[in-house]
Amino acid sequence: MANTACFIIVGRNDIPIYEAEVGSAAKREDAAQLHQFILHAALDVVQDLAWTTSAMFLKSVDRFNDLVVSVYVTAGHTRLMLLHDSRNEDGIKSFFQEVHELYIKILLNPLYLPGSRITSSHFDTKVRALARKYL
Amino acid sequence: MEEYPEELRTPPVSLVALFGYAELHASITKYLHSQQPPINALAFPDFSQISLLLAHDDQISRTSSFRDPLSVSDSASPIPSRCGGILKRDWLLKHRTKVPALVAAFFPSHHIFGDPTQWLQVCSDLDSLKSVIRPKNIKLVVVVVQSSPHEDISDDRLVALRKRAELDSKYVLFFNSSIVSELTLSLSRLASAFAELALSYYREEGRRIKSRIEKRSSNSLDLNVRYCFKVAVYAEFRRDWGEALKFYEDAYHSLHEMIGTSTRLPAIQRLVEIKIIAEQLHFKISTLLLHGGKLIEAVTWFHQHKTSYEKVVGSTEFIFLHWDWMSRQFLVFAELLETSSATGQSLTSSNQGTAEISLTEFEFYPAYYYQLAAHYLKDKKSALELLLSMSEIAQEIDSSSASITPSVYVGQFAQLLEKGEAITLHSITDEEYTRYTISEAKRVQDSLQIIAWLKRSYESFTNLKAQRMAALCAFEVAREYFDLADPNNAKFFFDIAANLYRQEGWVTLLWEVLGYLRECSRNLDALKDFVEFSLEMVALPVTSYENSGNLRNKNYGPGGPATISGRESIHQEVFTLVCREAELLSSTEGSGFKLATDSPLHLEIDLVSPLRPVLLASVAFHDQMIKPHALCSFTLSLLSHLPLPVEIDHLEVQFNQSTCNFVIRNSQRPLWASASNTVKSGSQVENAPLLVLVPNNWLRLTYAIKSEQSGKLECLSVLAKLGPLFTICSRAESPAAMEDLPVWKHENRVESLPTKDPVLAVFGQKATQVDEPEPQVDVSLGASGPALVGEDFAMPIVVTSKGHAVYSGELKINLVDVGGGGLFSPREAEPFSLESHHVEICGIDGAEGNNESESETGSIKKIQQSFGLVSVPYLKEGESWSCKLEIKWHRPKPVMLFVSLGYLPHGSEANTQKVHIHKSLQIEGKMPLLISNRFMLPYRRDHLLLNRIKPAPDSEDVSSLPLNEKSVLVVSAKNCSEIALKLVSMSIEFDDEQGETSCLIQQGGGCGDSPSSANLAPGEEFKKVFTVIPTTRTPKLGLGSIHLKWRREGGNITEAYVSTKHKLPEVNVEASPLVMSLDSPPYAILGEPFTYAVRICNQTQLLQEAKFGLADAQSFVLSGSHSNTVSVLPKSEHVLSYKLVPLTCGEQQLPKITLTSARYAAEFQPSAVASSVFVFPSAPQAEKAISTSK
Repeated sequence: MANTACFIIVGRNDIPIYEAEVGSAAKREDAAQLHQFILHAALDVVQDLAWTTSAMFLKSVDRFNDLVVSVYVTAGHTRLMLLHDSRNEDGIKSFFQEVHELYIKILLNPLYLPGSRITSSHFDTKVRALARKYL
Repeated sequence: MEEYPEELRTPPVSLVALFGYAELHASITKYLHSQQPPINALAFPDFSQISLLLAHDDQISRTSSFRDPLSVSDSASPIPSRCGGILKRDWLLKHRTKVPALVAAFFPSHHIFGDPTQWLQVCSDLDSLKSVIRPKNIKLVVVVVQSSPHEDISDDRLVALRKRAELDSKYVLFFNSSIVSELTLSLSRLASAFAELALSYYREEGRRIKSRIEKRSSNSLDLNVRYCFKVAVYAEFRRDWGEALKFYEDAYHSLHEMIGTSTRLPAIQRLVEIKIIAEQLHFKISTLLLHGGKLIEAVTWFHQHKTSYEKVVGSTEFIFLHWDWMSRQFLVFAELLETSSATGQSLTSSNQGTAEISLTEFEFYPAYYYQLAAHYLKDKKSALELLLSMSEIAQEIDSSSASITPSVYVGQFAQLLEKGEAITLHSITDEEYTRYTISEAKRVQDSLQIIAWLKRSYESFTNLKAQRMAALCAFEVAREYFDLADPNNAKFFFDIAANLYRQEGWVTLLWEVLGYLRECSRNLDALKDFVEFSLEMVALPVTSYENSGNLRNKNYGPGGPATISGRESIHQEVFTLVCREAELLSSTEGSGFKLATDSPLHLEIDLVSPLRPVLLASVAFHDQMIKPHALCSFTLSLLSHLPLPVEIDHLEVQFNQSTCNFVIRNSQRPLWASASNTVKSGSQVENAPLLVLVPNNWLRLTYAIKSEQSGKLECLSVLAKLGPLFTICSRAESPAAMEDLPVWKHENRVESLPTKDPVLAVFGQKATQVDEPEPQVDVSLGASGPALVGEDFAMPIVVTSKGHAVYSGELKINLVDVGGGGLFSPREAEPFSLESHHVEICGIDGAEGNNESESETGSIKKIQQSFGLVSVPYLKEGESWSCKLEIKWHRPKPVMLFVSLGYLPHGSEANTQKVHIHKSLQIEGKMPLLISNRFMLPYRRDHLLLNRIKPAPDSEDVSSLPLNEKSVLVVSAKNCSEIALKLVSMSIEFDDEQGETSCLIQQGGGCGDSPSSANLAPGEEFKKVFTVIPTTRTPKLGLGSIHLKWRREGGNITEAYVSTKHKLPEVNVEASPLVMSLDSPPYAILGEPFTYAVRICNQTQLLQEAKFGLADAQSFVLSGSHSNTVSVLPKSEHVLSYKLVPLTCGEQQLPKITLTSARYAAEFQPSAVASSVFVFPSAPQAEKAISTSK
């Protein structure tokens, strides 16, 4: 179980469409404020790395102190980004795959505008449950 | 990195000591420095200073012996150990500056090979040197200095010298300083020997200590670390980087094992010593790896170094020491990366490293390490502040710890005590050490260091084009300035971060940055900026929800969480501040701003303003074209994304035509004193029952305005008044061209249209076009058929007033060539005129109208041949004025006539607009007459013309006429127009005098001296016969031109004739060598014989042979030769005579005769007309009359 984790989904136009602080209590409160800033900064690496590999799971694309950024790039170039201090790479990958399936279900909703913010509470509950399960 | 001593930052260099012969030391030292690798030298002038070398050693020994009782008395460890630390601080410096690898003794040659007294002195000096250097295993070189190359060398003394010095023969060198070439050679030999011996010394020393490692590795880790360090340094002396790296790593690993096992020092100081030595060892390892170009290995090693020690925190109370140490690791490595050239090499892959550690891309750049160095220093600052706040004793620490100084060993600290002349070092307790560290930490300005390192990281990421990383660093720099209470610098860097987050639409990050910017504006007392940042914050979409459980774990910036309630509270704060009323001034004093009741606040929102979600104004005109003085409807729609409803006092709608501006006033709001000043006199004021902006809903207002000026009518901006001192001016936008709000573009919300009409929402424009006033004057062009080329065509133009009076009327007349020539086939007629313009305006006559208006007619201003300007006199309502436009065609072609009338309907008003009427008419110009001509040769008289048989190469289709013969010219004129023409006369006139002398042209007989005129109906043709007798032989004879005078049928009798000229083609005049003529009576009588004669005339100077043949005819009985060849003499005539008796009546063909000229190969054949004769059955009556008169 990761102590600190921040999960966001970035749309294909580089705008976050979902944000969640998952994991247990933060160790240092000052660093928690920087979680989304660190994930945003990691896009500098992802935008180059995503086109040089065929893998969807990009592990450890960026590192900040003891926090690591892992990214999962979908076929539509939506990026699932996780800031964590866990070394359980298999769990992180499974977490990404499960959330990806949830995201596909969101996309299948005809009333959902692709690229807009995901405001479904059901989606939020599911993501947090998956975080507790895998991270 | 500058904190490290120089002997640690630079690789070690070999050291030699020079004794004797001081005058040579300068050149030798200089030469040794220039070697690669260089060699350092210690210079001793003479051998009496050998004690100095010894004195240094004794001094060091004395210091060590002085230390022993102290360490023994303080040592409480259960394991007995002879050393008091791991690494001595001055060991490296000693071996680089004091302990040489070898000693060179310089002796003059005459001392060695001279008298015995000097030889004994040499032996004594050598014995002294050996006694000093032998315990240290320092090498010895003896140098014999020769003054001249031819000095005597005694072999016995040389052998004795080697035996005395115990050296091989190769280490007794001869130095010749008299000749330059010999000096260079000697220096080279000397340096080579020095390098070899130094290498040998350092190798032996390393091997000696390595044997200690093998024997005593299980006894003490301290000694193991020390020995590994020494072996590594000796390897560096020998430039054996591989072995040096290996032993540095061995020392590092052994040192790491000492954590938790060593009990020599108190707990805190023990860990500090281990960490400081680990830091130095890692520095050495990184330096060697980077200088070897192994960037990936260096980064990997740093990662292992950080991983090994980041959990070794030590005492939690004094954790700031750990953060300080961690920060220094990152800083030193960043500086190493910057100074190393290994970073320049290209990375093959950005995911390097071993299977255990996966390195990211930015870990190969110094910016990453500067950023984390600042981060750890921030942790140190926080921990120190926490310690100072919790412990009251720590706050009282000041200069009482000044006597503590670094100890003899690396990483240790001791207290200096003075007892008389002796200085002793005493161990200190952990409490004393922590006091010392706290006082040192309080002296350092950590914030400035954090800012400096983050700025370097920001600049480095900016150069790498990693803008998001740079924005993160800018945000951290700004926060540090914010904590330092420096709002100016903080605002600068917050703006950098806000611009990127605003551009990329990251609302969550933008909220945090704007929260800080708001506080900076508050501290800077910038009210406008404060309001702008606050409004931008509250207009952002909601990204956090209060019902989620993760809010309590986060530490937010000054803006707080980005929830609905957070936005509402900021909204209320701002609008309470700026929309305050006079009664509430006292209650808002606590907001921190200096309130000035007479300073208004004005915000401008344009298309690229971040405040566009605050007030978005959309204007759509219902019609794209409107009439002047007519009401025009438009819809004004306002949209706001503020979280709470906003009530507007009044709106001012501004147009490009200022007379159309008007104000929409909220009838429920009080009328401020300043509000009435903004309403201009004469402006339209509308009252609206409610002017409230509901969040995310369009406020639609429909109004009608009247424009009196033509042209473009555009709504520029909408000014919203909120309270007595606050106004927001928003740039008007068209619904058709309105762009989405970037931050609200991807929100899942219901889209609403700015207007209820969907067509207006898609195609609505904020601008419309106002037509010109409707003209009430008629302009008519009275065309009377097609124009004829050559005449002055009259075009009446009539201006009639039908409601407007005409003031300052002006007619513009323009002739334009009709484009698209494919519709009109070009005429083949040749031009009559050499004018450059084919159609031109000849003039305008203002003949009609009353006398009063006729006198006011101005003269025509003829600007061009195809443009004219005419002034129209004043016309009352109902009056008319006309003029005639005379146009002349020089070539048949169609033209477009454009007539434009501009006038003022009201002469007294200056601002009245001009009204324009445009009329156009296409007029086609045609040729009136088509003139053609042809020649007829004499009757029954054939001339042999050589040009017809063999035309000249340069001749065109030119008619040929015989010289001095009468030819007939028939000229035809055909009426091609659609109206009847009256042809007055037709004549031929010569162009020059030459024609008159070379040709004689007469009219045909029978017409009389005064020819009558002919009337030509459309399509009718008129013919006239002329006789032409050329008198001059020339290839090109000009016959002149045909002159026609004509006019329209039925026109005014006073109208002048139109003269048309048509040039006749040139003809070829030549003399004919042979002429054949037929001689027969004009008619014949049945049964009566008549003579049929053929005359052959030779007009040349040569004999001409002619062969003739006569064919039989059924209608005649023939007597004479049928075929023969005759010879015609020069200038003579030959006659062939036949008697013919007609047998039948009527038109009969005479027997056909064929005459062939042998010289010219030409054949004469009379035509059928020439060979026909009419046969009467009896003699006609006229014949009898003639016979009677005879």
